[in-house]
Amino acid sequence: MPLHLLGIRHHGPGSSRHVLDALHDLKPDIILIEGPPEGEAMLSWVAHQDMKPPVALLAYVPDQPQQAVFYPFTSFSPEWNAIRYGLEHKIPVRFIDMPLVHQLAGEAPSAGEEETVPEAIAEKEEEQDVAAIRRNPIAWLADIAGFDDAEEWWEQQFEIAHHATGVFDAVTESMTALRDHLLPEKSRREVIREAFMRRAIRTAQKEMYADIVVVCGAWHVPALSNMPAQKEDDALLKGLPKIKIETTWIPWTNDRLSFESGYGAGLESPGWYQHHWTHPEDNGAVWLAHTARVFRRNQVDVSAAHIIEAVRLSQALAALRGIARPGLKEFNEATQAVMCMGDNIPMQLIRKELIVGHDMGAVPEGTPQVPLQRDFEQQAKKLRLKISNEPRSLKLDLREDQDLQKSVLLHRLLLLNIGWGQTQYTSGKGTFKEEWTLCWFPELTIQLLEKAPWGNTIGFAANAYLEHAAVQCTRLDEITGLVSKALPAGLHSGIRMAMKRMDELAAGTSDTSLLMGAFIPLVKLSRYGNVRRTDLETVNIILQSVFYRITAGLPMTCLGIDEEQAAVLADKIREVNQSVLLLDDAVLKDAWKDTVFAITGQTQAAPEVQGCCCKILYDAGTLDEAATAQAFSRALSPGSEPAFAAQWLEGFLKDAATVLILDDKIWHIVHSWVLSLDGDLFVTVLPLLRRTFSVYGNVEKRKIADRARHAGTGATHVLTVAGFDEARAARILPVLTRLMGL
Amino acid sequence: MSQNILRLSAEQQFAEELEELKKQDKLKRPERWQLSPQAVVTYLTGGKLDNGFTVSPKYIGNRRLMEIAVATLTTDRALLLYGLPGTAKSWVSEHMTAAVSGDSSMVIQGTAGTSEESVRYGWNYARLLSAGPVPDAIVETPVMRGMKEGKIVRIEELTRIGSDVQDTLITILSEKMLPIPELNSQVQAVKGFNIIATANNRDKGVNDLSSALKRRFNTVILPVPDTMEEEVEIVQQRVASYSKSMELPVEKPILEEIRRIVTVFRELRNGVSSDGKTKLKSPSGTLSTAEAISVMNSGLSLACHFGDGSLKADDIASGLIGAVIKDPVQDKIVFQEYMETVLKQRDGWKDIYRACRDIV
Repeated sequence: MPLHLLGIRHHGPGSSRHVLDALHDLKPDIILIEGPPEGEAMLSWVAHQDMKPPVALLAYVPDQPQQAVFYPFTSFSPEWNAIRYGLEHKIPVRFIDMPLVHQLAGEAPSAGEEETVPEAIAEKEEEQDVAAIRRNPIAWLADIAGFDDAEEWWEQQFEIAHHATGVFDAVTESMTALRDHLLPEKSRREVIREAFMRRAIRTAQKEMYADIVVVCGAWHVPALSNMPAQKEDDALLKGLPKIKIETTWIPWTNDRLSFESGYGAGLESPGWYQHHWTHPEDNGAVWLAHTARVFRRNQVDVSAAHIIEAVRLSQALAALRGIARPGLKEFNEATQAVMCMGDNIPMQLIRKELIVGHDMGAVPEGTPQVPLQRDFEQQAKKLRLKISNEPRSLKLDLREDQDLQKSVLLHRLLLLNIGWGQTQYTSGKGTFKEEWTLCWFPELTIQLLEKAPWGNTIGFAANAYLEHAAVQCTRLDEITGLVSKALPAGLHSGIRMAMKRMDELAAGTSDTSLLMGAFIPLVKLSRYGNVRRTDLETVNIILQSVFYRITAGLPMTCLGIDEEQAAVLADKIREVNQSVLLLDDAVLKDAWKDTVFAITGQTQAAPEVQGCCCKILYDAGTLDEAATAQAFSRALSPGSEPAFAAQWLEGFLKDAATVLILDDKIWHIVHSWVLSLDGDLFVTVLPLLRRTFSVYGNVEKRKIADRARHAGTGATHVLTVAGFDEARAARILPVLTRLMGL
Repeated sequence: MSQNILRLSAEQQFAEELEELKKQDKLKRPERWQLSPQAVVTYLTGGKLDNGFTVSPKYIGNRRLMEIAVATLTTDRALLLYGLPGTAKSWVSEHMTAAVSGDSSMVIQGTAGTSEESVRYGWNYARLLSAGPVPDAIVETPVMRGMKEGKIVRIEELTRIGSDVQDTLITILSEKMLPIPELNSQVQAVKGFNIIATANNRDKGVNDLSSALKRRFNTVILPVPDTMEEEVEIVQQRVASYSKSMELPVEKPILEEIRRIVTVFRELRNGVSSDGKTKLKSPSGTLSTAEAISVMNSGLSLACHFGDGSLKADDIASGLIGAVIKDPVQDKIVFQEYMETVLKQRDGWKDIYRACRDIV
């Protein structure tokens, strides 16, 4: 009963080739693969004609889909090829790793932290200590061989080199040496996993299979070749916790292959491996020709001569470094030196298009439902939202918990581009109301399925997708829009990434109005957003940096702009002013006042902006009555252009009818200014004034007219204070304080 | 004799290292190379030889870049070293030439006035008038000699040379020969000949290479120092030697100030604060390591001649602002943003923040 242990590197195309060669030579009658036994039921799908890698075997806890493990497979994964070989030759294929019913049970579920720990990270933490130990010794070996990158060393040593025979012996030998000399202690989890693998091998041996092939990570080979007594293993495997698990296939993408999960092996360059798998004999000509095509598609001129030179340089580099064939690093360096003038920015294009690639897998119809879909249906059911294709309208009161949850769900779906609900305009005051129209159509199911790789619950998926979308944004207004969209969706990790991106983009932009646009949702987030404390700190840091960028650039922005731009800018300044007041931070307020004051001092600044700034300073009390009056008369004096005066006035008095009615000081200033105009001048300014006053409501206009009539008689209302009892008045103050919550 | 010389060439200064490398070098050498490519890389990046001899590093930075550069010389493309001013381009090219050909003297300094005669060949007019166009009357340029002798020729500041003159290199680089129509003959390059050119990133607009010429070069960009420690070390070394030659007494340890200046420079240059939290705009100047050195030097001079001898934030601030604000409008905004978002928030940096604020 010979037992053949094939130690591989997960996702290594060279390993894959060696495994296939070995299988064809050995002709085993059973194949054992490192993988979760629960996945065995799913194996038959692999041979399905609609199955297109990259795909991932997903195992999850049905009640808590966020507890899940992904085992990604690509067309060049050794495991994938071993499975296919087994199915084609009709020999049994078994997964022999520790069953996930135990693995996932080990991770204590904590409902409270549901949102903070994405599944990939949870899995990684679990793996971390194992992974660190597992990887470092290989790095150590690589270091001896003079490589600074363990993956590269492995690739050169065992994969690019074509000596198929003896590769697995060499792997076994080096790993045995490593494990003997370097690592006496292993994590308990790893010990258990290996015990499970040994048990599966024993079972197969008992079933009288003649030729057994085991495909597993190279690291485990020594543990499987020296079988300890069966008793020891049985003792280890007793009484492990269990949990219910379900498995299915989901489509995977190349860029998500770099996630570490399942096998704990991230894959940095799936596109390159794919190429290496399909063109094992390529000396660089094919790869570099692809590179050249990508450049040409993106309007970078690259000739065939460039390709020739790049191939030569990569070979010279390989020779200089004493390696058998140029690897990805050599090709990249050659590409950069020959085709990109040494610049590494075009290389990012190659990285995105070629080295990672855009492949997206597909799974056949009829594979079991994915958890994201299940989670969606569960949530909809819990919130009593009926999924139907008849449009229904829904009114939500966000003060009610149930309604708030509904709103959050709908906003998250919107963020995922699943347009089940459309927001409607709500009548009435207050921000606590939302009105939606719900309508489900079949395309949305597809949308939902497409989002499956992003996460297993709507919450996780929305977070992950938001992070992704945030990274894609290249303009500040895009990210601002995204953040505003994400605010009501109650996402945390996603918002964090969006904030980071916003900060980056804010630094790059010199357009102050875009910055001001970004500032407003930031303030909302800081004041009202239900963000956690740590996030709030990040938000505040970014808020401050955006704010200071505004203050640095704003005075310059107010110069040399036309009337329309000035109107837009003045509105923005008012909004920012509102936000700054809302923030209630004395330092920011002072800095803001300084900036606004600086603008009023600029004679070249647009008049409407000046007026608006003057109003802000007046409201803040920085300018007293006399100073304001002076500013008024200066702006409205005969020396300035009539258009200037009118725009200034518009800046000051826009949407401020109530101020004019209720504030005696301003009233006096405006009133006495109007009185001071002589006949001709009055006629000149009249149409301009009309522009400001005509937008006021009818009631307001009438009140202003009334005041003008009374004031016109010269009667001033002086409040005479006779017999005023101060002590008695003071007694009411505490009550007022309490009432106003001061 | 060599003691009277102001500056020794690379092959003179490091003759012992080159000799030792040559002895130890067992690998295959390309024709007319003094060392194998591997040994050239060792010479540049430093290392220990088998017999225990230590080779000092000439280039502190990424070894892979040196490998690409040397590998390029073994192919038939020429090498273009590209980068900001003060990133050791000429230094690397001199040492590389010394290691490969054992002779770094063949160099053409590119200027706006570099003519075709100084790139290809010139005429000795007295001889030309008396004997007519004979081979004897030709004045050879370093390029011509390099072709004949199979050596590496250096061209400094390639982008400063006028485009028409630049393009005379195309035949030399692609056909490896230099026609002399007057004599109806040509000089064919022997193996071992190649060109290392240096050019400045910032001068791209002066005389950018034609795409035909670009294609003849493999480009290696030499970056600014990778890590904070590397840069601080370089600055410290240079400042120390400066204050020694200028006889400036340095009272208190200035490492802390160097660290701050380098931090400011790196943050502005990289466009991100050192804790990675805040992104920043970069000013229009290069902010090279060389400028950090001069900020420190002027600060020391100020402190010594006009202050009490110890280096204070005020002494550095003016130099710092002078280095950062090259464009009075845009750079000023950049620096103000930087002051408010980074300097102001940092613990223990209040002095430098105030000093800068007073000036801006």
